[in-house]
Amino acid sequence: MKAYFKVRDLDLYYGEKQALNKVNMDIYRNKVTAFIGPSGCGKSTFIRCLNRMNDLIEGCRVEGEIMANGEDIYSSKTDVVNLRTRVGMVFQKPNPFPMSIYDNIAYGPRCQGLKDKKKLNEIVERSLKQAALWDEVHDRLHESAMALSGGQQQRLCIARAIAMEPEVILMDEPTSALDPIATSKIEELVDELKKDYTIVIVTHSMQQASRISDYTAFFLLGEVIEYDLTSTVFKNPSDKRTEDYITGRFG
Amino acid sequence: MLINAEKVKRNKAIDKAARMFFLAMALLSSSFIVILVLFIFMKGISPFLPNYQYGTVNLIDFLFGMTYRQDQKLYGVGFIVINTLISSFAALLISLPISVLTALFIVKIAPKQLSGLMQAVVELLASIPSIVYGVFAAGVLTDFVKWLASLFNVTTAGGSSLLAVILLLAIMIFPTITSMAITAIGAVDRDLEHASLALGATETQTNFKVVLISAKSGIFAGAILGLGRAFGEATAVSMVAGNKLYGPTFSLFDITKTLTSTMLAGLKETTGLDYDIRFSVGIVLLVVIFGSNWLLNLVKQKVGNM
Amino acid sequence: MREKMKAKMQAKDTFNNALTYISAGLGVLILGSILVFVLSKGLKGLNFDLIKSNYWSENYLATVEESYQTNELNDEHSSAQGYYSTKWGIAIDDTLSAKGEKQLEVTYVSPNSPFAHLLNATAGENFEKPLKMHTGYTIEKIDYMTADGTIGLAGKILAQDAKTTIETLDKASTITSVYFKSAGGGIRGSLIATFYLIVISLTISLPIGIASAIYLKEYAGPTKINSLIRQGIETLTGVPSIVYGLMGITVLFPVTQLVGATTTSILLGGLTMAVILLPTIIRSTEEALLVVPKSLRDASLSLGATQSQTIFKVVLPCCINGILTGVLLGIGRVIGESAALIYTMGTFINDNPTILSQGTSLALMIWSFMSGENPNFELASTISIIILAIVLVLNIIVKLIGKRFAKQFV
Repeated sequence: MKAYFKVRDLDLYYGEKQALNKVNMDIYRNKVTAFIGPSGCGKSTFIRCLNRMNDLIEGCRVEGEIMANGEDIYSSKTDVVNLRTRVGMVFQKPNPFPMSIYDNIAYGPRCQGLKDKKKLNEIVERSLKQAALWDEVHDRLHESAMALSGGQQQRLCIARAIAMEPEVILMDEPTSALDPIATSKIEELVDELKKDYTIVIVTHSMQQASRISDYTAFFLLGEVIEYDLTSTVFKNPSDKRTEDYITGRFG
Repeated sequence: MLINAEKVKRNKAIDKAARMFFLAMALLSSSFIVILVLFIFMKGISPFLPNYQYGTVNLIDFLFGMTYRQDQKLYGVGFIVINTLISSFAALLISLPISVLTALFIVKIAPKQLSGLMQAVVELLASIPSIVYGVFAAGVLTDFVKWLASLFNVTTAGGSSLLAVILLLAIMIFPTITSMAITAIGAVDRDLEHASLALGATETQTNFKVVLISAKSGIFAGAILGLGRAFGEATAVSMVAGNKLYGPTFSLFDITKTLTSTMLAGLKETTGLDYDIRFSVGIVLLVVIFGSNWLLNLVKQKVGNM
Repeated sequence: MREKMKAKMQAKDTFNNALTYISAGLGVLILGSILVFVLSKGLKGLNFDLIKSNYWSENYLATVEESYQTNELNDEHSSAQGYYSTKWGIAIDDTLSAKGEKQLEVTYVSPNSPFAHLLNATAGENFEKPLKMHTGYTIEKIDYMTADGTIGLAGKILAQDAKTTIETLDKASTITSVYFKSAGGGIRGSLIATFYLIVISLTISLPIGIASAIYLKEYAGPTKINSLIRQGIETLTGVPSIVYGLMGITVLFPVTQLVGATTTSILLGGLTMAVILLPTIIRSTEEALLVVPKSLRDASLSLGATQSQTIFKVVLPCCINGILTGVLLGIGRVIGESAALIYTMGTFINDNPTILSQGTSLALMIWSFMSGENPNFELASTISIIILAIVLVLNIIVKLIGKRFAKQFV
């Protein structure tokens, strides 16, 4: 089993404040890795390090090393744009662009200069099918994406990420803004997608982590307290704090 | 994988170029103020330099002189500065209380529909261009001044007078101050009001004693803004100021002369001293505006700390 | 004792409340009196001809078409003001010109009147071209012949009033030629100049302003240089427009000289206005950029788009409304501006303005004839009505856009 990400001694500071402390982790290919922990524990901060979205935050400083597919992503030689095409991301709140469904999916490829209509059509169809949205929207591809329901919007965002044919999909609490039915659809989708992609998911719900993930990392105050197979973390945690969290003593 | 090395390279180049373009435009935008001050300053000080081709003007006479007569080559703006200060501060004195009370009315006191209507009135007044205010002042305010003067058995120069300027400016800065005051009053913490009400104060008492005092910083900022507008107002003021050659003017019914009306008077020349001196007056105007702005902001900080 | 205190308190409250009502009432009073004044003075003059006609009146010398020279109408149908000649189908009234001189103003011309079928008699390219007398024109001189062949004159040239002019004409049997003036007092030239001004200032101000706003909101970090840039732009807001006029003639005049301007010109006015508009455009664009959710930018970047791609493809399209607001406010500012333009465009009312000629915008036109010896309040008020109407409409649209914009990302 090979690791896609190898994180070594990662520290992250927002100005003076340290948000991540000596994180070490291997994230494996074609597995679903879940990050859990109380809010403000650093799990969202960490996932945003994996495609360098933290670059956009004022005064954010990273020390340590993240190897993605054998390449140090924080090295000065790494191209951020290139990295982000390989590591896609889905956000907490569905955030389709105020354009048509088709244009949303075609956005990424077009940004890379793809203009071929036939190829774009193929990509749109394939991505929507993979995201299990094709049947619902194939007859209104050119209508505004804003008209879709919240759950559909989120699957559209997943399709939009898939369109770039990434190797990894990062999901930052992708279901926190959705109702239970939409949530379960996304969860099924994640299970389906892990055949082709490495998936990292931040979740606020421990049930969700236990349902869909293969590995789970428990974060607390910027540190990884425990990282192991999901079944181990939930059934047989080695750290007292993990157990306390999972059994609901704090949260 | 959709990555195409060539494309990525091109995209990056475009991205860099775009960034440079945005930066260049921002630099250009902000450089205008520097260019503006620099050029006006250079042209404005030229009459005071030795070797000035149309005959050097004495800087002291210019700054403190109390007569401005182009025909006699007398260029003293001392009284004009005083006139400008008098008319603008008098306008502020009239306008500030009315503006603040109107703002209080809109935010706290008026019934909802009336408040919306009144807000629209203020916005409309704010959007009226100064030339239209000028026409109104020349047609209505001058008549009002004439009528008022006749009550005191004073004659006026067709109504053009210091009083007309003051009234005009008071009207023109009313919407400026009011809308700032509306924002300031609207931003007052509700908890403060509740605290006052809980202590048994009536709503009106709360409005006048707590809300207004809490909003004083914003109201003061509005006053500074209004004063700046009064100093710089040109066309409308010129239409009712008259053209007093000496001063300062203290009588309300006497004609006056402000910095801006001086700059607009006698525009026929395109070269020579009368042309250049306008830039010198322009510098004085800028100094008055930014100087008073700076001073009042100092005061504001003091007041704000109390 | 307590009761007394309470009554006193209530009285004071009522008094204070009344003060606010009075203040607000004053505001309404001011707006009301401005509107009443402008409407009462200017509404009369508001008609479509105003937009079409020139400011300066033109002189015409014309002969009457052969077949109409003796065309006696005996047309009784005129309710126009003044004195009516049933014989020749024309009505004339005594009025005062804009400059306060007596004139013979045509108030009605019957379609079959000889005065509706004239030929231009001035040498030049319009020689022998058909002409028509319009209401509002003024008659200087009419040449006629009586039945016994005597030649006679009528009109202002003999210091006749309208009544005697008509009486003289009724004695005539042939009308041979007419010397008259067109109405003038129109705003066509100033409208065109205003339009030029708007186009010039916006084409320059928009790209610079939008790009600056993008830099400030999307790129600029909290460095010293960036705060200086911001400071510079904000200071522009506090500069009175008359000072911009000074800047126009020193800094920007050489720029217009490069394209061939020899004096102050509409182009120079437009460039100056472009600088004046910059803070407005920048602010409204910045406000619009602020409303675009960060999540959209994140989404675009996470898909591997570069920052400039994100800005052009996602962020800017979301800002269209805000930019439009800036444009509309800018147009309002250009239409209302006077002080800066007095320096940079001149105050000569030009009926045929070009970009490199002097000219007046609507506001400047008011200044031009209001600062003279005989201020014309009627025309000034009429133009004020037009300016106010445009500004009002612009403001209403801005309001509507603002309301829609607020809902866009909720």
